[in-house]
Amino acid sequence: MDELWQNSIERLNARRESAKAAGGAERIAKQHSSGKLTARERMEALFDDGTFVELNDQTMSRASDFGMDKKKRIGDGVVTGYGYIHGRVAFASSQDFTVGGGSLGEAQAQRICRAMDKAMEMKAPFISINDSGGARIEEGIDSLTGYADIFYRNTIASGVIPQISVIMGPCAGGACYSPAITDYIFMTDYSQMFITGPAVVKSVTGEVISSADLGGAAVHGSTSGVAHFVYPDDLSCLNGVRELLGYLPQSNLDSTLEVPGVAVDNSAALADIVPADSKKAYDVRDVINSIVDMGSFFEVQPLFARNIVVGFARLDGETIGIIANQSLYMAGSLEINASDKAARFIRFCDSFNIPLLTLVDVPAFLPGSQQEHNGIIRHGAKLLYSYSEATVPKISVIMRKAYGGAYIAMNSKGIGADVVYAWPVAEIAVMGASGAVNIIGKKAIEAAEDPVAKRQELLDDYNEKFMNPYIAAEHGYVDEVILPEETRSKIATAFKMLKTKDKILPYKKHGNIPL
Amino acid sequence: MSKYRITLDGKTYEMDVELLGANGAVIAPAKVAAPVAAAPVAPKAAPAPAAAKPAANAGSGSVVAPMPGTILKVLKKDGDAVKAGDVVLVLEAMKMENEITAPVDGAIASLSLAEGSTVGGGDLLFEVK
Repeated sequence: MDELWQNSIERLNARRESAKAAGGAERIAKQHSSGKLTARERMEALFDDGTFVELNDQTMSRASDFGMDKKKRIGDGVVTGYGYIHGRVAFASSQDFTVGGGSLGEAQAQRICRAMDKAMEMKAPFISINDSGGARIEEGIDSLTGYADIFYRNTIASGVIPQISVIMGPCAGGACYSPAITDYIFMTDYSQMFITGPAVVKSVTGEVISSADLGGAAVHGSTSGVAHFVYPDDLSCLNGVRELLGYLPQSNLDSTLEVPGVAVDNSAALADIVPADSKKAYDVRDVINSIVDMGSFFEVQPLFARNIVVGFARLDGETIGIIANQSLYMAGSLEINASDKAARFIRFCDSFNIPLLTLVDVPAFLPGSQQEHNGIIRHGAKLLYSYSEATVPKISVIMRKAYGGAYIAMNSKGIGADVVYAWPVAEIAVMGASGAVNIIGKKAIEAAEDPVAKRQELLDDYNEKFMNPYIAAEHGYVDEVILPEETRSKIATAFKMLKTKDKILPYKKHGNIPL
Repeated sequence: MSKYRITLDGKTYEMDVELLGANGAVIAPAKVAAPVAAAPVAPKAAPAPAAAKPAANAGSGSVVAPMPGTILKVLKKDGDAVKAGDVVLVLEAMKMENEITAPVDGAIASLSLAEGSTVGGGDLLFEVK
């Protein structure tokens, strides 16, 4: 090898080393000491071992204002590339907090966008790992435009490829809107998301609040519903991402991975789990775990709007999405947050061809001024809209209560359910007995010699007539009344039949879902 | 690899379960590198915040009505010692008898509701101090 070759090779090696060195040993040590992995280590943890390939490792900022020409580093504070997850290709970006606090400038944004464009062309999932102080102020409006370019791509890719955001440090200001547009947000215990941080909150409103109380993982996992999954640290979190992707297809044109699981049918236990007395509560997750492949239920947003349970599971090895009323919380009634949570999940599943199973035990929409004034009408409408619009196979099991508008909203026959089953204890009616009798029996009760006895008579009559699934079955709103122990086999048989379902909505640019 | 805890005749066993494909290949999305393999049974790794209830104007040991309803049963009184999870009240609401439990260990305070009284959503039911 001549000297010219030697020099060229040394130069490349030096540049490669410089990219790998990231923000330097000291900052990497600081990242480690706070329990975090570096941007590259996160990529290694995310992808199947040894499969990560970096793209555009030589990316460099072109900025020179405010001394940026002396501060800039190869890589520009982000690592991007592709690798394999369960043997299937995926693309990712991972912000590097050790380089300029992971701040996003023009070059970093371009690098991220290039990887996103590849994901779209390859029809593969995109995972964005966020650990950044925010916009790079020195780069001014070019930095803001960088965010805009990412948001735009997030939106165009929505419903085409699964997009997952992972928050592993700060994510503040406009930066929150890329994760918000994507399908799922993962957070680690020490991450934060907020549009305005504690300092601005204090100066504007006088409210003193810590960043964890303002936008920590616990807040977003339970109160705001912004985060879908919360994990204690980087490794468990990235493993969670891997686990989720195991349920999803590569794109809206692909089918999900088939994972032959252990098909244990515990439907026989259902009559013990669910009390026939519909005033008594139970954990609907026990019902789910009794009918899906063993251990396959993966709950989404487990601590937010707990009155409805949503998540993925496998039935005979294939992914299904489950929506179930949870009687343990707010009697399983539907309210604003539950409607939003379920509607978004249904639309995700429909986008990615994942069949839906709905387990119904719903007393009503929650009454009250708080709900009305915050817009339960427009929020509840999302649930009806999402079910009606979804063209994937849709099966319902009415376990116990199905009342009024909430009955309609929970994937009833009228809004497009393909198959509706009901257990023999199901109560399908426009409203509960006492409410109904007070209205339709008002005159008869007033005119009666013994109003108390008359009321009771009317109550018994109403209960006898309506507190069962048979009228609904006679009128075809319920396809079959089934025994609890038949539940899994009936569902599995119906999903098999529905595999070739081919339903096409009329041409439209897009619908106008109430937001 | 998934961790399962199984209780048999009162004795608890912990077992690692690995899902195998038809050809014996590991198919569960478990990664060797990860020390904490997330179990496929829900994101258990997510630590459940003890009292992640919708915000109320009261402190962490306060329990508010999750929805409007009628007090069906009052099972404890002020000063009674309770453990987290003990049923304190039964609230009849939304066609159900909803058990209202103590969020933390402590003693009941500010419980002034009688059976049959109605409460609004968000009303303070009792405190545990």
